Amino acid sequence: MSASVIAEPLAAPTGHAPVHTSVAFPRDTLFGAATPGKIAMWIFLVSDALSFSGLLIGYGILRGGSTVWRHPGEPALGVNFTAFLTFLLICSSVSMVMAYSAALAGDRKKTALWLALTILGGLGFLAGQMHEYFGFFPGFPTHPLRGLVGEGLIPGHSAYASTFYLTTGFHGCHVLAGVVYLSTVLARVLSGKLDGRPGAVELAGLFWHFVDLVWILVFTLIYLIP
Amino acid sequence: MASHATTRAYLGVFAALAVLTVLEVAAVKTGLPKRTLVLLLVSLAVTKAVLVALFFMHLRWETRVLRWMVAVPLATPAVYGVVLIAATIAKRMPA
Repeated sequence: MSASVIAEPLAAPTGHAPVHTSVAFPRDTLFGAATPGKIAMWIFLVSDALSFSGLLIGYGILRGGSTVWRHPGEPALGVNFTAFLTFLLICSSVSMVMAYSAALAGDRKKTALWLALTILGGLGFLAGQMHEYFGFFPGFPTHPLRGLVGEGLIPGHSAYASTFYLTTGFHGCHVLAGVVYLSTVLARVLSGKLDGRPGAVELAGLFWHFVDLVWILVFTLIYLIP
Repeated sequence: MASHATTRAYLGVFAALAVLTVLEVAAVKTGLPKRTLVLLLVSLAVTKAVLVALFFMHLRWETRVLRWMVAVPLATPAVYGVVLIAATIAKRMPA
């Protein structure tokens, strides 16, 4: 019978931190080799997806019920720039799975390198989003150049503006949380605490891919649909 | 059985996601009728999301129970949302 492996703290001598090592985990008839941690992460992600569903359905109803969605003076959203941010997130998802592959192979250096690249991708996305909102980087190609706020897309002024900032901002918070989460995993990888525990990298990856998956839907529904 | 994709499969999915993203942006600029465009864009987005879930999130290698546990709670609000939004648009349109 095949068995997955999870880590559990073992009793440590008095005065010492718990020793983490791997123990066999029996294969479950319903969930196979999925660890309790992975099942818990999926339950969290499904509940989080319901939060995004509420925002996107609310956006759809407000937009579908309005005769004028974008009022005069409000800027259009920049599709090309956001497509670049989407591509950046997709790239970071690839680096995340490469980190998991390296963790499975027991290669600490490569795991750390791919994780660092994933974090950089997330930071790049966040910087891009702030630039889109406020025009932080003059001369960097985007539309509009002064940032959406500077061009007149003010939260609270219209349903168009409010739903845009609410949904993309909520997603941005998830990216920020993902960057913090991945940074802690990276620190633990570098310190050797996750040696032989690729499952911890996979769990972080699940969250990161979920953030990417949600953005794919947000990009289409908020930016692309005319 | 492997519990995750090979590096080659990961890169294949990455290429597919990149191409689909380019197609999405190109579709917006083609001047297709709105209803056709919306259907096309949503189909492309759902395809990309399913690719991420199956390969990057390894759902393809999980048990059927876990896959359904994820799919049903996601599909239900999606269908509910489509019904609500369609009803809202129909109410706004002149008879």
